[in-house]
Amino acid sequence: MNLIELKGIQKSYELGKTTVTALRGVDLSIAKGEFTVITGPSGSGKTTLLNIIGCLDRASAGRYQLDGQDVSNRDFDDLAGVRNQKIGFIFQNFNLIPVLDVAENIEFPCAVRKDAEKPEVLRQKVERLAEAVGLKPYLHHKPDELSGGQRQRVAIARALITGPALVLADEPTANLDSATSEQIIDLMLALNREQGVTFLFSTHDARVVKHAKRALEIRDGVMVP
Amino acid sequence: MALLKLAVRNLRRNRRRSTITLAAMIIGTVAMTCLRGFINGQQRVIIDNQVEGRMGAVQVHKRGYIANVLTSPLALDMADTPELRQKLAKIPGVVAVAPRIEFGAMLSTPDKKPQPDDGSLLPPADQGKTSFIMATAIDPQAEALVTPLRNSFIRGGKLFASVDAHDIVLNDDFARGLEVAVHPEGTPLPKVEQQLALLAPDRDGALNGENVVMGAALPSFSPGDRRIGLVPLGTAQRILRMEGRVTEYSLAVSPFDAAPRVRDAAQAALGPDFEVHTWSELMPFIGTLTNTQDFIFSVISGVFLAVVLLGIVNAMLMTVLERVREIGTMLAVGMRRVQIIQLFVMEGLVIGIVGGLLGIALGYLIVTLAGHIGIPLPAPGAAVPSVVKPFITPLYLVSALVGVPVGASLACLWPAWRASRLRPVEALQTA
Ligand SMILES: Nc1ncnc2c1ncn2[C@@H]1O[C@H](COP(=O)(O)OP(=O)(O)OP(=O)(O)O)[C@@H](O)[C@H]1O
Ligand SMILES: [Mg+2]
Repeated sequence: MNLIELKGIQKSYELGKTTVTALRGVDLSIAKGEFTVITGPSGSGKTTLLNIIGCLDRASAGRYQLDGQDVSNRDFDDLAGVRNQKIGFIFQNFNLIPVLDVAENIEFPCAVRKDAEKPEVLRQKVERLAEAVGLKPYLHHKPDELSGGQRQRVAIARALITGPALVLADEPTANLDSATSEQIIDLMLALNREQGVTFLFSTHDARVVKHAKRALEIRDGVMVP
Repeated sequence: MALLKLAVRNLRRNRRRSTITLAAMIIGTVAMTCLRGFINGQQRVIIDNQVEGRMGAVQVHKRGYIANVLTSPLALDMADTPELRQKLAKIPGVVAVAPRIEFGAMLSTPDKKPQPDDGSLLPPADQGKTSFIMATAIDPQAEALVTPLRNSFIRGGKLFASVDAHDIVLNDDFARGLEVAVHPEGTPLPKVEQQLALLAPDRDGALNGENVVMGAALPSFSPGDRRIGLVPLGTAQRILRMEGRVTEYSLAVSPFDAAPRVRDAAQAALGPDFEVHTWSELMPFIGTLTNTQDFIFSVISGVFLAVVLLGIVNAMLMTVLERVREIGTMLAVGMRRVQIIQLFVMEGLVIGIVGGLLGIALGYLIVTLAGHIGIPLPAPGAAVPSVVKPFITPLYLVSALVGVPVGASLACLWPAWRASRLRPVEALQTA
């Protein structure tokens, strides 16, 4: 069974009297372990789609099954647990929490759980992940002491700490120079290859698309066949 | 715990804003604590003036006396026996017992010139004056223990040398009105017709009198006490034909707040023929006065608190606006909305605890210092100087220590709620 199953997803925004339709019937299936890139021009609906897949936003119509659960009509706060356990997020502008150091940022999704693991156990996990993303020496640095590439590595580690079924990345390399972008994509590929993490990310960058195992295109709110 | 760490770090993030919020909070609590301390000190002076200057802490009368107190009922009297005094003195908490008679009397001053021989009347300006007084007959020795403050107020003379001296102590304003002066100690007494005449009806209505001189003056130390005159107990008993009888016992009590306990014990020991009251029951106006002061204090401190808390609300709203993207991130990675609320309320709580602790500690320090030094200030309506010694009660300390942090966290509820309602999709996209 597919990890993600989207059927006829529509999304429109009411702006006063006019209605902006961002997605007009998207069908999409993603299996476990895939490494998928979504491309498309600006305004084509990539962010909107990823937000819906990430349970950050609700579709106006259509059905969405995540890992066998129908999440189409569930309330945002109700989905907090689903987001926390099943999905890792990587953002274009990193979105680290500035008052927390690298280790604390990485463990954050686990630390806010009611049944958080013991700090020692969590710390071990953090160190293993930091090692994997090449941040071991920076565990006690604050985000503002890191370069953009390093910040995005923190974000990747944070996305992985919960052992999510799916990692979503909306233009993760848009704020990085091309060499760093390359490294970040390589890191994600390696994690996909070695740990079987499912990645779904959007990008404008044609160069990163060539790495992807599966490339999809969206245009005007519909998938290009 | 993760939230507490976050809260503390966030407060340290914007140091200037946190410092200003904290400063407002500290200034507010210091001011509130000092004001409360001062009011406490002033209330203590008012109470002390009444209790140690006039009433005593607990009074014993024959049953029904207080209900008829305006007529100073001499018929509701009791035998002043050593046994009765012993019974009262033995009650735990009682340190002294003073017997008294309260009665209405007339005081006449002598004519200033001899009556003309031709039988015409003296011009009014030269005639003696007669005035009504509320007389309290006291035993000077016992009274020195029960109302020590009154003794310290006495001016220009001293309280009766003996229990049956021919002296009277008058309020100095009243004496001035009557054109009576203190008889200087050690000088020979004036001739009998130049002395004052103290007249009083006894229980049967027969008017008796004795000649007295003004032995000392007493300043006014509470509203409405200007017509009170002090008479030696023995002298009063002669005039009233009440040898061996009194209408009142006044008890000194230690510690001061043992008064209600002493009242109950005395009532139990004496039985239903007697009635026992504490000073606060006898002087309900003090309760009214202190209640009014307390009410004004709560209004003022309420306004203070509101201003400080509105400052917190404002600062928190700004914080929320600044942290929109961060809040969006937290919501995205699975923090629940209630946890966002908790986070911001926790920030208020931390500020409240720190500000409250510092403010109350500083206020307490100032009040304690002022209490040691003392602020010279007469009590309202009193002509005697008194020293206000501000102090803080444990109850105030506890309620301020609890109330300030609770208030601060409540002030954060609204900003916290706003933060928790953010739509993450939009929050994540803000710059
Ligand atoms: N909150 C919103 N309110 C109104 N319209 C919106 C909103 N969010 C997105 N849209 C509209 O929906 C459409 C799709 O936007 P979306 O952000 O998903 O595009 P995108 O493919 O991510 O673009 P980009 O490559 O520039 O990030 C656009 O036309 C956009 O204007
Ligand atoms: Mg986008």
